[in-house]
Amino acid sequence: MVNGSDVWTEKYRPQKFDEVVGQDEIVKRVKSLVNSVNLPHLLFAGPAGVGKSTLALIVVKQLFGPSWRENYLELNASDERGIEVVRQKVKDFARTRALGNVPFKVIFLDEADALTREAQQALRRTMENFTSTCRFILSCNYSSRIIDPIQSRCVIFRFKLLEKKDIKTRIDFISQNEGLNVTQEGFDVLYDASEGDCRRVINLLQATASISPNITPDLVGTIISQAKPSDIKVVLEYALAGDFVNAREKLLDIMLKESISGEDVIKAIQKEVWNLPIDNELKVKLTEKTGEAEFRIVEGSDAFIQLEALLAAFVLAGEGK
Amino acid sequence: MNLDNVPWCEKYRASCFADVKGQELAVDKVKSFLRQFPRKKAVVLHGGPGVGKTSLAYAIAAELDAEILELNASDLRDRDKINEIVKPASEQQSLFRRSKVILVDEIDGISSRDRGGLQALLKIIDDSSFPVIVTANDIWDKKFAKLRQKCDLVQLRDVDYKTILEILKDICLKEGCKVKEDVLTSISIKARGDLRAAINDLQLAGKHEEFEQIGDRNKETSIFSALEYVFKNAKIDVEMLRVFDSVNMPIDEIFLWIEENIPLEYKGEELAKAFDALSLADVFRGRIYRHQHWRFMVYEYFLLGSGVASSKKYNRTGWTNYKKPTRILKIWLQNQRAIRKKTICQKYARYCHISVKQAMKDWLLIRFLLKGKEIRERLKLTEEEAEFLDRKV
Repeated sequence: MVNGSDVWTEKYRPQKFDEVVGQDEIVKRVKSLVNSVNLPHLLFAGPAGVGKSTLALIVVKQLFGPSWRENYLELNASDERGIEVVRQKVKDFARTRALGNVPFKVIFLDEADALTREAQQALRRTMENFTSTCRFILSCNYSSRIIDPIQSRCVIFRFKLLEKKDIKTRIDFISQNEGLNVTQEGFDVLYDASEGDCRRVINLLQATASISPNITPDLVGTIISQAKPSDIKVVLEYALAGDFVNAREKLLDIMLKESISGEDVIKAIQKEVWNLPIDNELKVKLTEKTGEAEFRIVEGSDAFIQLEALLAAFVLAGEGK
Repeated sequence: MNLDNVPWCEKYRASCFADVKGQELAVDKVKSFLRQFPRKKAVVLHGGPGVGKTSLAYAIAAELDAEILELNASDLRDRDKINEIVKPASEQQSLFRRSKVILVDEIDGISSRDRGGLQALLKIIDDSSFPVIVTANDIWDKKFAKLRQKCDLVQLRDVDYKTILEILKDICLKEGCKVKEDVLTSISIKARGDLRAAINDLQLAGKHEEFEQIGDRNKETSIFSALEYVFKNAKIDVEMLRVFDSVNMPIDEIFLWIEENIPLEYKGEELAKAFDALSLADVFRGRIYRHQHWRFMVYEYFLLGSGVASSKKYNRTGWTNYKKPTRILKIWLQNQRAIRKKTICQKYARYCHISVKQAMKDWLLIRFLLKGKEIRERLKLTEEEAEFLDRKV
């Protein structure tokens, strides 16, 4: 059993530009910006686990050397509740001058697309106010969710999904260091379960290695099934059988225990509909309802009410099946 | 002027800072703006309708013993008018004993295509040697970017219902009109932070006795009888339209009560229809939050009452034991139980540069990663946290 002395995603996080895999063009351009010292604000857009935070960390390490921690503030927009918090932290941080010979500090605002439009407007003011002492690196999944004025103040980099061979390179490197034996089939299962998210692949690898250094497809499968969120299918089966009350109980239970958001549930339902034992015509109707529910979650204020409404539609469909 | 015909919301407009109720923070900010004038020459008072923006502007003038020059959004397009007002204001200040304040009310009315108007306003601010006060519902619109740079921003909050209630009582005393306490309370709550609307409602209640009677008749309406009315009757009548008027409960709570009890009365198609009405009501609620468009409240109440009621095909009889909403309690209980999970995820998230939300989602996987003693020390996990990790699922 490999116990591991550190979280591998951190232990094996690339520390230099040359170590980053799969984003060659971006790395080249960011590197040249950093070398010129006159760094603009940066916006990193792209899916999860492709290297956005890693590159941001490399930028500050390159800029500040050993004193990077003093000159770097990391905030996560999906955790910081209001823009007020962000503003206060930014203010406190930006009040003092940067150490060393770089004239500014760096603030990394992760998941910036989680901010509301109003918060983004306020953020933009903050960016302007502190522009002489701070540079911002923003990361987001979709740049379309970042308001134009912020986009126009940043140099935008679009990260692409890592290719399988890139992730393989990284996994091979880790396996060698940790003395693991990863079979090709084992890697295939790891990769398929992670949807190209490198952080997730490494987490799965470490979780599997905590059982045995031989990473076989079966073992990976066991870990995945243990770490998999509960099946939303049960909820839908209750609903189709006409038991609305139990369906919603179960749904609330799963959402609370596993910290799943309404939007995650909708995604799972949308995928699950086609596996249900009902007529294809009904599947079409229910998918339509699911789409409407997803839209209303975005527009409304209480996702659970929207999910209940969708479950009620499933109950109705169940009667006609 | 004969004050009898003046709307009460005008008659009782604040005339000094002390009169501006429920906006202490905003008043402080305005005072500091005035002290530091002309560091910034203009102040934007922004907030929902009826919270006291214009009143505060008049109070500022009164405090400064200044004359108010009021411009509305349409004046801003009229160059002559601007010159007529602003020129004297900027040039002749020393000749007048009384100082001046320029008020540009309801700037939202200006269209984003009409760049001229906003430019005119910016020029006024630049040229004026007197404080400029701008009021707006939504100052975060793109088109106000330049304006925001030039101004101090002061937000006025929605007035809470207790403050509204006090003001209404005070007015009743001065007008010598008797309105029952529970009617006043209901008006205050229904106003949802809009003080002007509350005062207008009060004036109506004071004038028309039948309004008072309606309040009287419904005064004991509890949520239980409202639920019964909605769930048992298929017919939509005037009563149904205001079924929640006299329920002394915030609308968000009414949502929860309806949500909890729909499945007790409805099955199948009726269930789906009722939840569809509830779901639409929630969509309007979301839009209110997002756009501060409070008028949508009408539809919220309508859908919760008549919408849910009309989902049924026939009248119900008999008695139903309606249940208290349980969802909020369940959420709270779960959060209590998962408090260790949360603190562990916070430490992990910080260490691994991800959000706490993401860590919570990956929890089942993270449990495997945090088995080793060394890792736990690295993350500075406490003994309780380590114990929680070792516990069987």
